[in-house]
Amino acid sequence: MSAPIATRPQFAGQRIKRLEDPRFLTGHGQYVADIQLSGTVHVAFVRSNYAHAHIKGINAEEARKDPRCFAVLTGAELAQAKVFLPGAQNAPLPALAIDEVCYVGQPICAVVATDRYAAEDLAETIEVNYDPLPAVVDTLAATQPNAPKANLAFPTPGNVFFHMEHATDGIDDLFADPQVVVVRQTFRTQRQTGMPMETRGIVASWEPGTASLTVYAATQMPHGLRDTLAAALHLSQSKVRVISPDVGGGFGMKAPVYPEDVVVSFLAQQLGRPVKWISDRREGILADTHARDGLHIAEAAFSKDGLFLGLRDHMISPAGAYPLGLSGAVAETVLATLVLPGPYKVQQYAWQIDGVLTNTTPTGTYRGVWGPAATWVQEGMIERAARQLGIDRVEIRLKNMVRKEEFPYHSVAGVVYDPGSYQESLQLAMEKIGYAGFEEERRQAAAQGRTLGLGIACFIEPTAMGVMGDEPLTVPNDVASIRIEPSGQVIAQVGISSHGQGHETTVAQLIADQLGVDVQNVTVLHGDTAAVPYGGGTGGSRSITIGGGAAILAAQELRQKVLQIAGHLLEAAPEDLEIADSTIQVKGVPGRTVTLAQVAQTAYMLPQKLPQGVEPGLEATKRYTPPPITFSNGCHAAVVEIDRATGAVKVLRYVVVEDCGKMVNPMIVEGQITGGVAQGVGSAFLEQLVYDENGQLMTTTWMDYLMPESTDAPKVDFGHIETPSQNPGGMKGMGESSLIASPTALVSAVEDALGVWVGALPLTPQRVLALAEGRQEDAGA
Amino acid sequence: MVIPVETATITVTVDGRPYTATVEARKTLADFLREECGLTGTHLGCEHGVCGACTVLLNDSAVRSCLTFAIQADGQEVMTVEGLAAPDGTLHPIQQAFWENHALQCAFCTSGFLMTTYAFLKENPNPSEEEIRETLTGNICRCTGYQNIVAAVADAAARLRGEKHTQPVGGV
Ligand code: FES
Ligand code: FES
Repeated sequence: MSAPIATRPQFAGQRIKRLEDPRFLTGHGQYVADIQLSGTVHVAFVRSNYAHAHIKGINAEEARKDPRCFAVLTGAELAQAKVFLPGAQNAPLPALAIDEVCYVGQPICAVVATDRYAAEDLAETIEVNYDPLPAVVDTLAATQPNAPKANLAFPTPGNVFFHMEHATDGIDDLFADPQVVVVRQTFRTQRQTGMPMETRGIVASWEPGTASLTVYAATQMPHGLRDTLAAALHLSQSKVRVISPDVGGGFGMKAPVYPEDVVVSFLAQQLGRPVKWISDRREGILADTHARDGLHIAEAAFSKDGLFLGLRDHMISPAGAYPLGLSGAVAETVLATLVLPGPYKVQQYAWQIDGVLTNTTPTGTYRGVWGPAATWVQEGMIERAARQLGIDRVEIRLKNMVRKEEFPYHSVAGVVYDPGSYQESLQLAMEKIGYAGFEEERRQAAAQGRTLGLGIACFIEPTAMGVMGDEPLTVPNDVASIRIEPSGQVIAQVGISSHGQGHETTVAQLIADQLGVDVQNVTVLHGDTAAVPYGGGTGGSRSITIGGGAAILAAQELRQKVLQIAGHLLEAAPEDLEIADSTIQVKGVPGRTVTLAQVAQTAYMLPQKLPQGVEPGLEATKRYTPPPITFSNGCHAAVVEIDRATGAVKVLRYVVVEDCGKMVNPMIVEGQITGGVAQGVGSAFLEQLVYDENGQLMTTTWMDYLMPESTDAPKVDFGHIETPSQNPGGMKGMGESSLIASPTALVSAVEDALGVWVGALPLTPQRVLALAEGRQEDAGA
Repeated sequence: MVIPVETATITVTVDGRPYTATVEARKTLADFLREECGLTGTHLGCEHGVCGACTVLLNDSAVRSCLTFAIQADGQEVMTVEGLAAPDGTLHPIQQAFWENHALQCAFCTSGFLMTTYAFLKENPNPSEEEIRETLTGNICRCTGYQNIVAAVADAAARLRGEKHTQPVGGV
């Protein structure tokens, strides 16, 4: 990097309490629902009750006549105004349905009224006249030749809208070789959704004087939303400002731009007053992007002594009725192809992807995206091979893992693994979970009639994506703009956008170390396109590595300038200076000091005192572009107990060894992990979006969709290994690994306890009971 | 058909201050607090009584303000998250414990957890971890995995019993 880390880190690496917390603890966070602009009117949506139908007519007469009504908007009117939701090329989702609806919950019509209660009253009076069409709900059924078309506007053979495949030379020969042992399993993940506690919401306000739009939205990517809204409404990007205020979680679900965003913004422009929509939970479950629901038909070839020689995976993944944003059908599969071999040195590799349209809610990204299934596949194959070949589960993993001296490692999937600690993480996790003594523990428990199992999930997490291709699809870098104010206070504007990750603290820690100021003197601003330079927001475990990297670079540049000016004022060489507590001192000469405030005041107000050639001002903007992928790695291990009477699974111990490079704030790292492990419990045992055969979603409340609760979540015991990355500060991303590995660790523990194989999620108590009773219901699904 | 909407004029004392407003009979206490009182610290996560984000105290008992009508609180005392800290801004020991234990991430659930904890520790000042976890099943958090919330509640209990010195606000 351009300059070495100049100070001994005082804040990075410390468990610093979060600077943003006081406002939240006192109820003074400002979420989008809390934004109250005067004159605001409220939107409710009329949504499709049918999974597939023609719309014959819409009767909104009663609503339009109601004095509380400000507007009713239909798809036809939007189309007339040439307003559309940009993005999906091959099957664009109209912002409001025009003559065909393709999933239950699809927005058809928007009604604007004095308040949310009135808007909902009026929505109920609007009659939509449907002509039902055949619907196809199950992904595999949709691919059958005579299956109904899920989306008549975009008919494709077998409803497959997206296909890719790849194979290394020689893979067929490998699988045909009688000397190799082949293990097979179909892995089916259930449909889920990110389910942040805060629903989606948007407040849009049109300023007629400047013909500009200001939007407050619960989004992970303010600039992405701004660009899309500008395109949708035919406005210049300079006339749209998006503010992402405090955001109550996202988990990938708040990354895309949704039809409601376009509709509400258009209505604000039309009505010339603020328009607000706050999703309720039921419509959120219907209309937020769903995720997972993929099928991996996998087989793996091993040598008799346990070498992982080859892997084949046919991925079949639903997009729902339309690809929306980065469709789950694409994101979960294409990205999986990069990491399916996992930490193992697989030599032959083949994959096929079929993305399928079905009459279900569009799918998108949910924390971990491709990772949970890819980890399940690679670990599932290893486990099956171990049992079949009679090799120890840990032994076979160690034997196949990339070793320390083999980094950087070029994987068969065409990506480069930067240095990590694959074997070391597994070994540490096994030590902490008590692998060596587990068989004895299991025997003792069995003697008391208790059934225990131990699960293992080694993982790699691809984080902080840099340049991945020639299409301008994502922002492969991020930015920090840092100013030192005349008071010596530091303000940083960053392109990443926190929605719970604690960037106001972690980015401040990084900057404080470079500038020799207290972390409390650094204010981090984010989430406002009018206040921060163009950035990629937060998602894909990118923020601390890329955004934090940019912050380090900008702070280093500023530090040089501070030292240069201070050196001039103190008549000393910059190399002879040090900064601490906002004071610059000649090393070893306590009396010769100047404060950061004095340097800053000189920089802004006394340019005549600056060294020659030094520009006035104390500000720096830097952008950091990381390598294509920075890989974190680690290992999860779980010991579970199965209640053979009820099918309940209790997690007795849970260990996470995480290597995410240099940790900026271990407290926040661990918080991310405990959160992801709880979500993994949801994925393994609880959560499932269920459609009936007509495409009605049956799980639209939290009574039906089971969220992990405090008694479900295990207590996590941590091990940390820090293999620094090449990025400034040595960081790697880590926001998703906990959910990438935890479902597999838990499933693996159940398999180990019962001596069965699992091919579908979630493992409900009924299914655990069936497996415990030897009913091998779903091996192979 | 214009739906007839009944209204009533009510007075509710919130965090020690009376608020009088004419509200629709169907208006929830949560919406009353957020819209009529301007107290937006009470959050709505599900609006169907499962998540506990909207928890407030009604005459000292924890209730879900999304399932309570504002008119049910007429003439009663409500305490919200905004009423927890001392008037001079000093955090309540429960708030302090949540802060120091990193028991919040996106913080959307936090107000509900704080109010549930406040009511719980009044009833049970020395709870076991199991009792804490059992009580917290009425509140959902998607971010933290509960581990630090459970630790914070135990820590808060210790502070309220006077076993742990409460540190001043603002320290790192
Ligand atoms: S919002 Fe009241 S319980 Fe969820
Ligand atoms: S901190 Fe985000 S839901 Fe609890």
